[in-house]
Amino acid sequence: MDKAEQILAALGGTDNIVEIEPCATRLRTEVHNSSLVDEKALKAAGAFGVITSGSVVQVVVGPEADTIATDIEDLM
Amino acid sequence: MVSDKRSPAAPAPTRVSFVLPVRRTTLKHLQVRDYLRALVTGELSAGDPVPSERMLCERFGVSRMTVRQAVDALVVEGLLERIQGRGTFVAPPKVDLQVRLASFTEEMVRRGMTASVKVLTAETAPAPPDIAAALDIAVGDTVIHLYRLRFADDAPMAVEHTWLPSDRLPAFLEHGVPSSVYVELGERGLTPDWGEDTIDAGEADDEEAELLTIKPGKPVLRITRRAFTGDQAIEYAQSAYRSDRYTLWVPVSRPNAPVVPRRRTTTQNTDINPNTTPNTKPIRSTT
Repeated sequence: MDKAEQILAALGGTDNIVEIEPCATRLRTEVHNSSLVDEKALKAAGAFGVITSGSVVQVVVGPEADTIATDIEDLM
Repeated sequence: MVSDKRSPAAPAPTRVSFVLPVRRTTLKHLQVRDYLRALVTGELSAGDPVPSERMLCERFGVSRMTVRQAVDALVVEGLLERIQGRGTFVAPPKVDLQVRLASFTEEMVRRGMTASVKVLTAETAPAPPDIAAALDIAVGDTVIHLYRLRFADDAPMAVEHTWLPSDRLPAFLEHGVPSSVYVELGERGLTPDWGEDTIDAGEADDEEAELLTIKPGKPVLRITRRAFTGDQAIEYAQSAYRSDRYTLWVPVSRPNAPVVPRRRTTTQNTDINPNTTPNTKPIRSTT
């Protein structure tokens, strides 16, 4: 699995995603169910940090955020 | 002049031009304030004394309290500063600090100011949990810890704790503390290329206040930085900047459009399909 696939899976898969917005160094993600988000798997996929607040999960991925978001879009 | 005979249904613009002269006569401290502001931004330069309270009282025919109200407003704005026992002076201009991945030294040089630094602590130590997490290393791994007081043109501007992973930077302190961490990282081919700053408002504690020559409890900007070289965390720093000397400058742009899941449907525009799943949401355009 490439990075985008791993991140999408760790976020609970396509069905769990409301939207993903690339913000400079982060993927600001709104999910349906935040308990389906696997923080360890996100870190294993290369995330530098995960900040969760309610149904919004921000995944720190670095300057590649735009590219990763585009890759994820292709998978959804 | 604008007539004061207004119909009750007078349109808003008329009312505005009618109200202004009234404010001008009633709020005398605003007149004094605007006069001082023009003086500060015009004829006077940093460090110059402003006219005495007595002179301002005479000139505007107002009470000392009114003059003080005007001066207070400009002190709060950061245009003037009171120095105890000496009077009120034009404050040095604030430094606009851009939130970007440059070192303090680089930022000051860019403004024609001279940066200097006083090293308070330089040591290697085992990483406590929060530092280890920020640097993506194990708790107890060795980190280089610098505690420095930063100056711009000899005025104290910021106190800063910096932590660097020792494993990636062998013999970092061997020849003393590098005068610029970023220059030293550059020489090792490890110039940070991305990072994140978080900025909080805070109050100076006793130690910070003493170092920054401000009163304890005065506001400071707390900037926490995590900087990376590629996918490796290379620096974690916590700084307290004097808020009376800094303005943070952040370029802003519209966010990128979010990406949303395409619902797997066999036909486009399924609004007439009776078998649409109940959780289907309206499809949002991402372009």
